[in-house]
Amino acid sequence: MKIPFTKKNIIEIKTEPAEKFGKDEGAFDIRIKGGELKKTVDKIFGRSLFVRLVDSGSCNACENELSLLASPYYDIERFGIKFVASPRHADILLITGCMTRNMFNPVWNVYNSMPDPKLVITAGDCQGENPYFGESYSIMGPAGKWLPVAMHIKGCPPEPGAIIHSLLELTKKL
Amino acid sequence: MTASNSVDFQGEPIGRENLLETVAGVKHEGVYLLGIFAIDNGDGSFEIKYFFGPEKNSSTVKALSILASIDFPSISGIMPAAKIYEREIMDMFGLFPLNHPDLKPLMLFPENWDGTVHPLKKDWDKTIPEFKKYGEYPYKKAHGNGVFEIPVGPVHAGIIEPGHFRFSMRGEPVLQLEIRHFWKHRGIEKLCEGKTVSEALKIVSRISGDNSAGISLAYLEASEKILGIEIPIRAKFIRVILAEIERLWNHVRDIGYIFMDMGYTPKAQAMFVLEEDILRLNKFVASHRYMFDALQLGGVASASDIDINKTGAIRGVLKSAGEKLKKAEWYILNSPSVTDRIELAGKINKKTAEELSLCGICARASGLRRDSRIEMPYLLYGETVQVSQKTFEEGDILARTRIRIMEAFESINIIQNLLAWLPESGEDLIPKDCAEGVPVSSGWAIGNTETPRGNAFFYIKTGEDGNIERLKYIDPSFRNWPSIQYGILGGIIADFPLVNKSMNLSYAGNDL
Repeated sequence: MKIPFTKKNIIEIKTEPAEKFGKDEGAFDIRIKGGELKKTVDKIFGRSLFVRLVDSGSCNACENELSLLASPYYDIERFGIKFVASPRHADILLITGCMTRNMFNPVWNVYNSMPDPKLVITAGDCQGENPYFGESYSIMGPAGKWLPVAMHIKGCPPEPGAIIHSLLELTKKL
Repeated sequence: MTASNSVDFQGEPIGRENLLETVAGVKHEGVYLLGIFAIDNGDGSFEIKYFFGPEKNSSTVKALSILASIDFPSISGIMPAAKIYEREIMDMFGLFPLNHPDLKPLMLFPENWDGTVHPLKKDWDKTIPEFKKYGEYPYKKAHGNGVFEIPVGPVHAGIIEPGHFRFSMRGEPVLQLEIRHFWKHRGIEKLCEGKTVSEALKIVSRISGDNSAGISLAYLEASEKILGIEIPIRAKFIRVILAEIERLWNHVRDIGYIFMDMGYTPKAQAMFVLEEDILRLNKFVASHRYMFDALQLGGVASASDIDINKTGAIRGVLKSAGEKLKKAEWYILNSPSVTDRIELAGKINKKTAEELSLCGICARASGLRRDSRIEMPYLLYGETVQVSQKTFEEGDILARTRIRIMEAFESINIIQNLLAWLPESGEDLIPKDCAEGVPVSSGWAIGNTETPRGNAFFYIKTGEDGNIERLKYIDPSFRNWPSIQYGILGGIIADFPLVNKSMNLSYAGNDL
């Protein structure tokens, strides 16, 4: 079967405008959750909660979701949360991926470079049950085995909304 | 349908004394290197396989093999692209490449791994060496007056995957760049050994999260060839649609990154909004934002069947994608500050691209006509879906960005047409014999598909019980990473993020 690629052959089906389709999922929810998050961040961290991300061997889906947190849909910086370049500026160390042997020392170095008080949280199923890569020879096991982990964000990968929700839960407990 | 990816295999291994001569002959025919890897035969001998891309006007992959027990002749003098594959074989099997110019450990770091343990050997007893320092990694050194080094990574500033880059500079220009990767080495090839074909699919779809559909397709190409499964026509349509949606969102994101690193934030954010729209569309269509587990052995998962609602949603997003990409293209081509920044920067010339056997966008931007969808057609490509060859001669960042935009438009076109011609919804998504239980068969096959980054290559060999005996995956990023070392030479260090993002190679797929 051959399909000649001309515009005439495209059957017109009534389409939904993209904006409406894209924004339906929890956009309002994020605004409420984010507002609450901002309140707790304002109170406890003096309006700024700085997060340092270290990828310890993920499939890069987690990183993509985290970088989308800065995109206009979520814009996490309006709630006072920023992903920083240096561990020296960070309050929270966020670890994704399944902690490979080769990344073990770099993760420790980052943890040791952070000033006290500091928190460690992990994200993604690689840091949880790790059903896919757990048995491998080059995996050191979840970060909780080596570092004091305060919270784990579930999901493969956790969606941006879920990350904001989890950060809110974390700051509420402090 | 086209017979996809047939292999022209010489059968018996050739003598190792004839190897260099044969490879020189193959290179003379103008083919490029697809990959080199070893297989443990279990009796103390190893088979080293060489795969080469097809010649012009043919879709047949060329293959050679030799037998080795302790060492093997390096072909990197003839094909420089072979260097990194031969280092990998030394790490994983302990076979020594003779006359290799740059022999260093690759995936297993001397900082934490005993170099005498080779995990892919069948006689490895799975005792993991103690975590301690066994040696130093020898970095390349540049000497001279005023030469200094800038080490970057493995932990970068920002939300990026880990990798180490070491620049040797003299003043502004970069004299030399050494890339050291494999920080994220997860040992996926060993992990898949002994697993059934459908178990390994779950691992394979998580090799590189943003190319999940493309990589899974290559795996399925190979495994379905071994098992002799015929895919239903509707499933083929859906597979191609999902793969093209993935290509579209990858390109949209990468164009956004180019804007971001140029300091053109408003346009970048417009692209990221579009990226999020497409990811939400993925969730709606394939029930996962990154299409994990959307493709299954024999077809597609029932959750990723495309009904009338999904068709409407896809069309809506495609329409806005087309409009936004048109605006982005206008800015790139018509704004002098953009063209000034990315024209002539990060140039990889055609000769370098050929010698390094590049693939994907990097190859096409340097004037090489390489696209697996055209060269080695699979699924609907080549017949129902005609893809046009898009190449530029310049090899700079602008050329790569322009090819991205053209491909994104083409993907939109392909998806729209396939949606219009999607077969009746009553048809099967998975063949009946496959839905009841996965058939068992032994043999080997290769699979090769075009992911947004270039061609993903799988070699799978199954044993008598149908479980995987050897799985080899070669990521497009594995081929293309060395080219950045050449693209940045003579440039300034501030060009590096742009060169890097214009290719946007995967660390996870490279490190495996």
